[in-house]
Amino acid sequence: MHAAQLPNMRSMTHAEIEKELRQFEADQRERLGLNEPPKRHWRDDNPQDFDKAQRSSTTLLCGGLTQAQDMFIGAALRGVGYRVTPLDVPDNDALRIGKEFGNRGQCNPTYYTVGNLVKHLIDLRDQKGISTEQIIRSHVFITAGACGPCRFGTYATEYRKALRDAGFDGFRVLLFQQKGGLKQATGGNNGLEFNPTFFFALLKAVMSGDVLNAIGYRIRPYEVQSGDTNRALDQCKHILAKALEHRQSIFVALWRCRQILKRISVKRLQAKPKVSIIGEFWAMTTEGDGNYRLQQFLESEGAEVDVQLVTAWLLYMLWQSMWDTKQRMILPQTDSAKGGLKGQNTRKKLITLWLADKCLRSVFGLYAKLIGLRHYKLPDMEEVATISHQHYDVHLRGGEGHMEIGKLIQSVTKKKAHMVISVKPFGCMPSSGVSDGVQSLITAKYPEAIFSIIETTGDGAANVKSRIQMDLFKAKQAAQAELEAAKASTHFDEQIFSRKHNHSLAYPDTGTFIGTAARLAAH
Amino acid sequence: MSTCSNLILGVDVGSTTVKTVLVDPQTQCILWSDYQRHETKQAEKVMEQLKAVSAVFPRISRIFMTGSGAEPLTQPLGAKFVQEVNAVTMAVDQLHPEAGSVIELGGQDAKIIIYKASGPNGPKRAIASMNDKCASGTGATIDKCLVKLGLDPREICSMAWDDSKLHPVAAKCGVFAETDIVNLVKSGIPSREILCSLANAIVMQNLSVLTRGNTLLHSVVLLGGPNTHLHFLQDCWRQRILETWKERGHKFPNDDVSKLIFVPPNSDLYAAFGAAIYGMHEPDHIGAYRGTEDLEKFILHGRAARLGASAGPPLVRDADELTAFAKKYRIPPFKAATFEPGKIVRGYIGLDGGSTSSKAVLIDENGDILCKQYMLSKGNPIADTKELLSLLKNDFAQQGCTLEVLGFGATGYAADVLEESLAADANIVETVAHGMASTRFFNNVDVICDIGGQDIKVLFVTHGQISSFRLSNQCSAGNGMLLQAMAAQFGVPVKEYADVAFAAKLSPKFSYGCAVFLDTDRVTFQKEGFSREELLAGLALVLPKNVWQYVAQVPRMSALGRTFVLQGGTQYNLAAVKAQHDYIKERVPDAVIHVHPHPGEAGALGAALEARRMVLQRGKSTFIGLDAAIDLSFTSRNDTDTICHFCPNHCKRTFIDTKAASGRTSRYISGFSCENGTVESKQKLKELAQRRKLLKAKYPNLVDYESKLAFQSFYKPTPLPEAGAKLTRDETRRNWLGTPKAVRVTRRMQRSSDDDLAHRQNIRIGIPRVLNLYSTAPLWRVFFETLGIPSANIVFSDATTPEMWAEGSKYGSIDPCHPSKVTQAHIHSLLHHKSRERQLNYIFFPCITHLPTFVSGVMDSTSCPIVAGAPKVIRAAFTKEVDFFERAGVEYVDAAVTLTEPNYLVKQLYEAWGKKLRITHDECEFAVQQGFEALKRFDVEMQRKGSEVLAQLEDENRAGLLLLGRPYHNDPGLNHGVLDEFQALGYPILSIRSIPKEPEWLDRFFDDDLRRGMVDSPLSVADVWPENYSANSVQKVWAAKLAARHPNLVVLDLSSFKCGHDAPTYGLIDHILSATATPAMNLHDIDANKPGGSILIRVKTYAHTLKLHEEKLKQEAANRNELQKRVAEKRHELLALQRAQLDRDADLQLMNEAYQAYLDADVTIELPDRDFTFEAMGDTQAHSGHQTALALVNGHRFVIEERTDLQPIQAGQQIALDSTLLSSLNQLDTNSKKSQQITCSSCTPHSCPTCAQ
Repeated sequence: MHAAQLPNMRSMTHAEIEKELRQFEADQRERLGLNEPPKRHWRDDNPQDFDKAQRSSTTLLCGGLTQAQDMFIGAALRGVGYRVTPLDVPDNDALRIGKEFGNRGQCNPTYYTVGNLVKHLIDLRDQKGISTEQIIRSHVFITAGACGPCRFGTYATEYRKALRDAGFDGFRVLLFQQKGGLKQATGGNNGLEFNPTFFFALLKAVMSGDVLNAIGYRIRPYEVQSGDTNRALDQCKHILAKALEHRQSIFVALWRCRQILKRISVKRLQAKPKVSIIGEFWAMTTEGDGNYRLQQFLESEGAEVDVQLVTAWLLYMLWQSMWDTKQRMILPQTDSAKGGLKGQNTRKKLITLWLADKCLRSVFGLYAKLIGLRHYKLPDMEEVATISHQHYDVHLRGGEGHMEIGKLIQSVTKKKAHMVISVKPFGCMPSSGVSDGVQSLITAKYPEAIFSIIETTGDGAANVKSRIQMDLFKAKQAAQAELEAAKASTHFDEQIFSRKHNHSLAYPDTGTFIGTAARLAAH
Repeated sequence: MSTCSNLILGVDVGSTTVKTVLVDPQTQCILWSDYQRHETKQAEKVMEQLKAVSAVFPRISRIFMTGSGAEPLTQPLGAKFVQEVNAVTMAVDQLHPEAGSVIELGGQDAKIIIYKASGPNGPKRAIASMNDKCASGTGATIDKCLVKLGLDPREICSMAWDDSKLHPVAAKCGVFAETDIVNLVKSGIPSREILCSLANAIVMQNLSVLTRGNTLLHSVVLLGGPNTHLHFLQDCWRQRILETWKERGHKFPNDDVSKLIFVPPNSDLYAAFGAAIYGMHEPDHIGAYRGTEDLEKFILHGRAARLGASAGPPLVRDADELTAFAKKYRIPPFKAATFEPGKIVRGYIGLDGGSTSSKAVLIDENGDILCKQYMLSKGNPIADTKELLSLLKNDFAQQGCTLEVLGFGATGYAADVLEESLAADANIVETVAHGMASTRFFNNVDVICDIGGQDIKVLFVTHGQISSFRLSNQCSAGNGMLLQAMAAQFGVPVKEYADVAFAAKLSPKFSYGCAVFLDTDRVTFQKEGFSREELLAGLALVLPKNVWQYVAQVPRMSALGRTFVLQGGTQYNLAAVKAQHDYIKERVPDAVIHVHPHPGEAGALGAALEARRMVLQRGKSTFIGLDAAIDLSFTSRNDTDTICHFCPNHCKRTFIDTKAASGRTSRYISGFSCENGTVESKQKLKELAQRRKLLKAKYPNLVDYESKLAFQSFYKPTPLPEAGAKLTRDETRRNWLGTPKAVRVTRRMQRSSDDDLAHRQNIRIGIPRVLNLYSTAPLWRVFFETLGIPSANIVFSDATTPEMWAEGSKYGSIDPCHPSKVTQAHIHSLLHHKSRERQLNYIFFPCITHLPTFVSGVMDSTSCPIVAGAPKVIRAAFTKEVDFFERAGVEYVDAAVTLTEPNYLVKQLYEAWGKKLRITHDECEFAVQQGFEALKRFDVEMQRKGSEVLAQLEDENRAGLLLLGRPYHNDPGLNHGVLDEFQALGYPILSIRSIPKEPEWLDRFFDDDLRRGMVDSPLSVADVWPENYSANSVQKVWAAKLAARHPNLVVLDLSSFKCGHDAPTYGLIDHILSATATPAMNLHDIDANKPGGSILIRVKTYAHTLKLHEEKLKQEAANRNELQKRVAEKRHELLALQRAQLDRDADLQLMNEAYQAYLDADVTIELPDRDFTFEAMGDTQAHSGHQTALALVNGHRFVIEERTDLQPIQAGQQIALDSTLLSSLNQLDTNSKKSQQITCSSCTPHSCPTCAQ
């Protein structure tokens, strides 16, 4: 009631005065423009809810490794009770979408992978007619995370930004820490359970993919009939995926693959330069537009490609933890920062890491043996670290760290490749910002190295390929000269050679020569 | 017709030209050759040349092709492809076996081949490298710069090299170079100086990066179009290569330099010739020439079939769509107003001196356009202006009229020089000019998009005012120009661009972004066989992506509003408009899209409107007058006399002196890098220093202070404990099983000997002033000082300067961010200057892997990997061919260190320094502790200064600029002095370190977040960025959070080009600041070069925003005071009403009388013990016939009323409550019988000792 309306006989109470004053103040605030609502601050919602009840109705999306591995991971996780859809290998459309919805100045693995997820969701919405709400409700994306020091650790930030801006606000991105385990898997009702079953399913998928890829790269350059190897590999993928999905014996499946692969006709007496692809993990691993289909291009140009395996990356992760622990174990254990050992049982940690390393190597060795991958050696991480440390301090992390340096040195000193291509995304911090600088010293020290640095952006393929051709020319000459020398060093007989070595699973061990043909010829 | 047989063709299909040679394999002589531009019709040009050669030599047997465009053509011709560098190598091997190096510059590629012997007598090996993407387009960049300079390529071929007047040009990127060239042009620098500067930049870039750190060996063969045709470029190579040889101690014959570094005859044919030579080494069946028949088929049918599904859509589906679109959006031709002869026409001129063109408009007194003029820039802004004004004048003279100019306004790159020389009425920043021009024609505008030759501007408009803006940075610049240049490359006049592009049936999908990258895409697409129509269509289609995704970065366009206005000269190109239209409509279906009727002249129109406003406001014009302007004589001087010697930069300034017929003279100075360059005498410099000192005190720049303090000796370390002093500490020992076990031990301090200390006292250590040293230098200084190294022996390099960079930038082999690359110049400076002044023993450049951070709950606290690894890159670069450290007698120490684990840091430093400094582990540990103490003191001091500045800002309702940057952005050489510009405008600058971090101070800003459980500490960023591991990035994000909550903070966000750690934060910081509409300006691609024009436009536009923001702050404060006053008055009014109502109550009247009687019986008021002071809160107000004022008495609010006996009270006036006043009040009270004179409005009488009295 307004004061003026009070009956004459009664005076205002203090409560009424205060009430009217409050109203007056509110009115005045409005008139003076002071009535703005309190500022709403932006927050990243980062939805993480994924519980067991949702598991049967929720599709896990994943991807980012090789085609075989993405396919096997999908199958293996289906085998342990998840609904999984692996994403396609990212292409240039994914890059364009990634650029549209991502931050400016990112490296292109971010654009490709982020764009690939958004592209998949857009397809679900626009091509398959699933509503956005339904997509968000029934899908989650699972990806590996890291905590620095390069941009890789912030991919999840980028995924969320792109998803928000593309209209998929609230879409769940679950992080799988490379060195940690599933962050969100703590607690009893988590949709993702990081238990031994899950872990071994993933491991089987990754390693199966590794051995299949490795053997494929050994056979394809020498196949007699173009396309034979890829057809055989497709059959193998099918067999392995089925075994993983139905939790059948992976050993039997690998043995069956061996039978298929060994039927491929090859001609080994070809002087093919061996080209080792090193560099940033994603750029060297992807098999699509992200590296201009580099592996395919090299093979089409007459090279034999030596790729780095994902298992080696896992060994690198283990090595880091072991090395860091050893460095600090006799210090006062009061350092509480991330690398510090405060409150940790260092001995137990080291034993666990050592066991993990041995297990990985043993299982890989077994898989390799079963599929017919002969003389394949996983890198000795301690050796790689030792030879690179003086040039690239092993404390420096991010990307492949010192490994690029170590691998380059080894490729020369251990005669592993005629040519090394270090492939990295444009502006890759650890690789093009540091490794390349140090590698210039390495190439000066080892002038015989044919070394090519390729920065990928998704565009300008003509220039990149031209540069590769430039160095490949020299590598071809070296391979040819080497084969001639190998032939000259023995009583070479082409018929004997063909009879002995024209088998798809035949592959030489290391030796004086680099090229496969030269090594076999000198055998 | 020749009868030779087995002839071999070599064809080089480059990005811009086709070169064909016919070689006789017997003699290896060139029988026939041709070199022509292909204008993107590569296949056609190849066919033309093949037909021509076949007509003379019909018996061609084989063909070998090279070049970026060759591959698709090999199959139809039966050719074999030879990679370009291999082809060139073949040619050089054949023709110049003595060559040590080859440098070939092409349209897109740059290649360097160095022939190195493997071992002392080993065979020569060719080490070849090609430019990376960023530095591509060398020839194309020169071409584009010639367009900007208005020069014909043929004119400059014989131009001489002159290194006496070189200006900074960034050649790492073609677009950066163009930006610099534009600025030089607009500063009136002569074209020849600009070209020499460009040549120098290209040469230096190639020497520092493309050689990958290798020294070029003699003899050097220069190949490729630019090297062949441009003599000044050849001489530049000669000078710089010789310098490098001398610096690196490379021995070369004492011969004529033009023989050591030479351009051979037919140098542009080397790749084609090499391809043919290559063919001679191949078996005879390889490269068998099939004639041109299949090539013809390929041209007619093959390309379209090959492009297939990878292509994108065309610009228009059919002719109907085009007709309908053109009808709606084609800009109607402008008809200038016509007048009767003899009429005097009055109006205001606006002039926009843009990057590639200059525009002028004349508006009448109502603001309507009467006529306009446009011309391509000819290189000098005053000459351009004079010509434009003459054209305007002639327009009227031809009609027999007289033009009377009422005012003159300028905008664009040239505005400053015009303001000075023509006394312009208005000098308005382009963004505001474009905003005015847009709102003049359209209502409810939400977004203005202006695409000029060089810049893209996207302006967001709220209530007719620019609320925020986005401008193209260096990386996204040059898109308008790109369309023009690309059209020119294809031989299409820019006016016909749209017609050609609309004819395409499909388009290549360009990747958006950098103009250089677009050009490399173009090469790829050409190679794939896309036609020029398709390429032009594709380029138009990528333009909106550049605008909205790259520059504006708005993925959700619908949030911007629905009315879009397209401006800028590019809108005359209907293909560009169509692409923009479709892009916007796809994302904002109900968008209303306008094309400004004067798109190219919108800036000039804005300038004219502003001139009109200023003249009307002032009542007169300052403009020197039309005729005086046209007749203005000017000289542009850039010589030894104009060099500024007021700082070590020694800037090569340009003086533009003008003289009007009236005798009025003016001088405009450009080309300086700091404020000292604005003056010409020592006296003026003194005055400037005085002004700057005052400015510094009034508006502190704490970023600058921090950058100085970090390297000073401000902390006196505690002396090392004596030998044998007791130490109690935690240690880890292994037990008999080897298991580590923590134990607490007490033992004696171990000290090194006196000899060791004496050894340390003679050691001198150089440390580069770079990267994270800006945040950790106090730790290192105190670490060494504690160990006994004298303070004077710890030597930091100087802050970065362009000269330092120019001198020491030739060691690099990679091209990362500038802050990490610039470290080589600092190491060079330490070796060549500091160490020569007095010998250094060590250079310490630690690989800092982890940094301490104040942000709580982070995942990790890492350093950027490039920054952490930079010392290793330096080691590689400085020891690769020559060990420069060894040569200088200096040991380089680049140990990895982790600052987040003190125990581990002690271990790392002891391993690095223990033997060198002869220290014990205990000493090392103590010194590290002292180092951390110094870091703490550094923080405390900066926060102390920050608190003072913030308190002042809050008191005065002003805005302060918070720099979101990395530690090295404190380096004035890296931040390009942008902060000084804002300081000069009256804004204090704060650094992140200077923000107080005590929770008690921060809680008031984060109270709501804490209460709602969003964060567990005011220093957390968990609510906005869970993936928070990078120390410097996370601090930037936290600082953005604070700025969003502190009303007096605005933001300047600096990032260096290629900064990988900042990139993920762009979106976060934008979200955080946009949510609260916190003003922010970002420069996200700062690099070695200072894009002066680009920075200036941002600073001016942001200054406009900040002015509005400060006005808002002051208005809000005034409104809050007003509210307080009004509420107090209202309270008084209500209480008065209450009293009146009580007075009407008969019973109460009786009670009042009783109370009054009680009061009358005791009217004495004791003067209180304490001093009572009234502080009037507002002026006295006439109120119901009485005078009322608000006052404070010892912190209590009072309403003083009925003070008719006193003088009016002023707000803030202090009034002593003395006995006179009290008795006066009593007297007044008694007389008037009022119940109360003083009412406390902030407390009840019972709780208030004053009221109780």
